[in-house]
Amino acid sequence: MAHAAQVGLQDATSPIMEELITFHDHTLMIIFLICFLVLYALFLTLTTKLTNTNISDAQEMETVWTILPAIILVLIALPSLRILYMADEVNDPSLTIKSIGHQWYWTYEYTDYGGLIFNSYMLPPLFLEPGDLRLLDVDNRVVLPIEAPIRMMITSQDVLHSWAVPTLGLKTDAIPGRLNQTTFTATRPGVYYGQCSEICGANHSFMPIVLELIPLKIFEMGPVFTL
Amino acid sequence: MAAPPEPGEPEERKLLGFLDVENTPCARHSILYGSLGSVVAGFGHFLFTSRIRRSCDVGVGGFILVTLGCWFHCRYNYAKQRIQERIAREEIKKKILYEGTHLDPERKHNGSSSN
Repeated sequence: MAHAAQVGLQDATSPIMEELITFHDHTLMIIFLICFLVLYALFLTLTTKLTNTNISDAQEMETVWTILPAIILVLIALPSLRILYMADEVNDPSLTIKSIGHQWYWTYEYTDYGGLIFNSYMLPPLFLEPGDLRLLDVDNRVVLPIEAPIRMMITSQDVLHSWAVPTLGLKTDAIPGRLNQTTFTATRPGVYYGQCSEICGANHSFMPIVLELIPLKIFEMGPVFTL
Repeated sequence: MAAPPEPGEPEERKLLGFLDVENTPCARHSILYGSLGSVVAGFGHFLFTSRIRRSCDVGVGGFILVTLGCWFHCRYNYAKQRIQERIAREEIKKKILYEGTHLDPERKHNGSSSN
């Protein structure tokens, strides 16, 4: 989960998120250097004594400042497109979970092996135990195995919602009347938090998502089916 | 990368308050070499030409070029290393899983080399 005053991305829990963090670092470095150059140009503009108003025909400079931004954009676009298509790959998922957004809770359906359906409500402050996270913890977590490709089918029953888990690099809109699909493979066990990411009414900020990722061997023993 | 500092650990410092050069691979290395390159280029140009303004321009250009060059070189090697680590991890997993069976990668390799 995010810690207080965190600006950067959370640690990656899936290969796609690792790629996204790499891409973010790459783009941020380019942006930093461009900003540095612009800041220097601004400083020069503010401190120059040159006031020649008859300057014209700077063909070489115009060529450079046309070609160079095009090259920079290509350097950013190529990794971006690579990750875009990588994220769209569907790697023969082992498990399919349906996630349905409501105002203001999520319903999860495990229908592959039986008909487990449950709601996931945020824990109200009065019901929090010591150590629980305010506005993040829920009554029923989504329990999933690690190192297994998982398909999430996301939709909504009423208004727009968005199912997001930053550490997995996931954010998928829940649209009424439409089924959106996203797949992921978690690489390490733990409890991971997300929040609804599309404005959906008064309690939009109070319908979090909590994934509990456990080793496959323990998942196969069936803890999730004993709810 | 995003874990909060534990009590007792030194606070993480960020360049200009927001650039996390400590935890971003290759960032600290690139910025340091870029700064060095900038000083060398700018000061060297000034020694030869005694033009302050132009030397500052050369210094800034040197910083950008050296930082970018170091960054791409380091990130390329880092990406190669990550791929090699992933291949090694997969092979170790396969070895543990299939050791002693007909799918053992070592048996396949020894079988093909003896043939």
